[in-house]
Amino acid sequence: MKAIINRILNSEFLTFNEVLRLKVAIVTVFLFVFVFLSIPLSNFNDFTFNINIVVPAVFSLLLIFTLLLMLFNLNRWAMHLSIITISLLTAYYVGGSNHFYGYMLFFVTLTVIIFYQDVITYLLYGGAITAYGVFYIIENGASIVGINSTGVEMSSITYQIILVGFYLVFLVQFIISDSIYEKMNNEWVRMNKVLEKYQDFSLEFLIEIADEKEQDLIYKNHKFQQTVSEISVFINEFFEEDGDNIAEFVEFYFFLHDQNLEEIITDKTVSALTRKYSIEFQKYLLNTRSELVSILFNFSTLFQKDDEYEEKRYEYDLDKLFTNKIDKLLSLAILYKYLKTEITQYDKWGKIEKVLSHEEITELFVSKEFREFISFEQVNFYLDNQELFDKYL
Amino acid sequence: MKQETNKYQFAQLEIYKESLELAHLKRKTKIFMSLVFILAGIVLYFLLQISASNDTVISIMTMFLVLLAINVAFYSYDDDLYNNLKIAMYISTLGVYVIAVSLILQFQSPSIFTSLFLAYAITSIFQEYKTMILSNFALFISGILLVLRFPEIFQIVGTNESQTFFILVFLIIFVLLLTLSSYILIKRKTFFYNQLADIKESEVRNMELLLEIENIKTNSHLDVKEYYETLNKFSVELSKKIGIENVFQRKIELLKDLKNKKIDDILLKYTEYNIDEINEIKYMELEVRKKMIMIGIKASKSHGIEVSRKEIFSESQFKSFKHFGDAHYVKIISFVVFYTLLKLDKPYLPALEEERVKDILLNSEYFYRIDREIIDVYLENNMVFDTIVKDHMKGGR
Repeated sequence: MKAIINRILNSEFLTFNEVLRLKVAIVTVFLFVFVFLSIPLSNFNDFTFNINIVVPAVFSLLLIFTLLLMLFNLNRWAMHLSIITISLLTAYYVGGSNHFYGYMLFFVTLTVIIFYQDVITYLLYGGAITAYGVFYIIENGASIVGINSTGVEMSSITYQIILVGFYLVFLVQFIISDSIYEKMNNEWVRMNKVLEKYQDFSLEFLIEIADEKEQDLIYKNHKFQQTVSEISVFINEFFEEDGDNIAEFVEFYFFLHDQNLEEIITDKTVSALTRKYSIEFQKYLLNTRSELVSILFNFSTLFQKDDEYEEKRYEYDLDKLFTNKIDKLLSLAILYKYLKTEITQYDKWGKIEKVLSHEEITELFVSKEFREFISFEQVNFYLDNQELFDKYL
Repeated sequence: MKQETNKYQFAQLEIYKESLELAHLKRKTKIFMSLVFILAGIVLYFLLQISASNDTVISIMTMFLVLLAINVAFYSYDDDLYNNLKIAMYISTLGVYVIAVSLILQFQSPSIFTSLFLAYAITSIFQEYKTMILSNFALFISGILLVLRFPEIFQIVGTNESQTFFILVFLIIFVLLLTLSSYILIKRKTFFYNQLADIKESEVRNMELLLEIENIKTNSHLDVKEYYETLNKFSVELSKKIGIENVFQRKIELLKDLKNKKIDDILLKYTEYNIDEINEIKYMELEVRKKMIMIGIKASKSHGIEVSRKEIFSESQFKSFKHFGDAHYVKIISFVVFYTLLKLDKPYLPALEEERVKDILLNSEYFYRIDREIIDVYLENNMVFDTIVKDHMKGGR
């Protein structure tokens, strides 16, 4: 239980799959409560004694099956099964007797589906449950009319409108939240790729620095390899009796640095295990801008000095950065000059030695993605005067 | 060990996050107002259908109008809009429940009791921590009080069985489930605001890092003097071509002065510009400020980047040492390589002391990038790790 609470408290750091697993675990706990409650509630049911015994037993089995699916990491299937279980429970509760608390289960079921935050699942299961709820009210609405109600029809319509309203409002919430989430995610992934490009260049410079100093690259250093091996063995001893097994994998990891990884991964004659580990290690190699290298660069930025925040700190659009027309043109000229003078590109041998030519800059300026930096007005100005840009900058 | 997860968060994050949130908050407020408007229409229709008294219609409709008016008022007041909208959000949350409870007390039927759930749904549009707490609390308290104080609301025609206990239990479960659901959802949304703000700052810092490494490699800096001279020539020719006075020259002169002169002296010398204009011109200064260089770096690297939908929701986008499906050995080795690298001198980052490494790994987001079992082993045995590194790397690489 403590582990579940901890995971809830730190749920933002979990991967999608881990979050789904956590959600299924929480729903399963609640479902156990409902199944447990169905036993005393069977007194109110119109079902036979046998059904009142068999049904909770079947539900318990469904829940155990859900847990098994989770155990095998089939979390998506477990999610579907948990939704089906709560839907069946709802049908059982409202089918056996006509009580208001049974009707409340329609809302609980919708909440469970909402909990999973999957728009398609909500549309399908949520839509079906809402439709069933409306059908139930049309058929049995008279049996849950309050003594103070103004009439069966009004009571029935109120029930239906609120249930459908609940479904629709959450659907709106889903759509908003999905669009915000997708937009943020899209920008985040895009920015991640831009960051990777900076890091590609940083790594290339570092390799060139090592080359010039005739220094061994770190992954070729024996002391470094031994250190990694020994610490890995030490950690592994906490998980395996024979902790030394990992040493071979450390060796394999360093060996991969001198290999053509794509060849190993695509070579069908190589054992499946070797290919599996090659794919997994690919993310952490040191001779390329891997995930590990990115994490290391990002980590090092923690030690940079903290500049004061200003409103336009993350603004790169010259049109938004400057309000004055002259400033906009002057900054455009500086940008052009930077791109034409400074080495910012790989040459054909993969070295960072190239500057952009006038033609390449023009191509960039007119491209759609460059609207992130300059406006149409600026592009038009540039096109009208490009010979001056080319000649004097 | 007590964690301080924000200890190593970039200082610039909070302010930028606020601006990100504000855009979404404005949109949510508009949607909330639309929903309240629709709800008011439906309630009015019902009141007219059941021929409710004028007093009832007027009092309930007034509540809706007041709620809408409050939102419009806060939305229109431009000064500190972020906090205004937050206040409007809290008032709206309570307001919706007040209307729902008023309707329940007015009509006292189980069907109208479910309007509490609808109130919850409407307030969930905001997806914000305090609103969530307020809404869950309001739902729980109003639900419990209504069930306990007004059990007759739930009396069904033709049955005398008491349902109070089960309604109460179901209500508690319902609220608990909703609370957990919104808690996890909001946490993840907040995390995304954080991530986005973080990556913006990270971009600036990665560009600075690139510049730093490039300077180590090339041992050269931007030839600022040459930049200004070229700009001068360019501006002369440009002014000639378009037939205007050279309006650029004075600004280029100002750019040169920005490096050495204090702002007061600048204001005295360039009386034609006010402080706001000078602050804007500062972005073009190349020696002290790096804004234009950053724009140049970003502009030179941002082309040809495409994002597919598959990538948007892929967990592989999160860089970590604990990818789902990776072998345990891979998780261990990748972390160890990372840890060992932190302990070594690099051109861009000196070797870190053990205490520092441990503190960062414990109190930053990096804690969550490492497999939990592995980081636990490290945190409990970090001195062993340190000793191994020192033993092997003695005398340098």
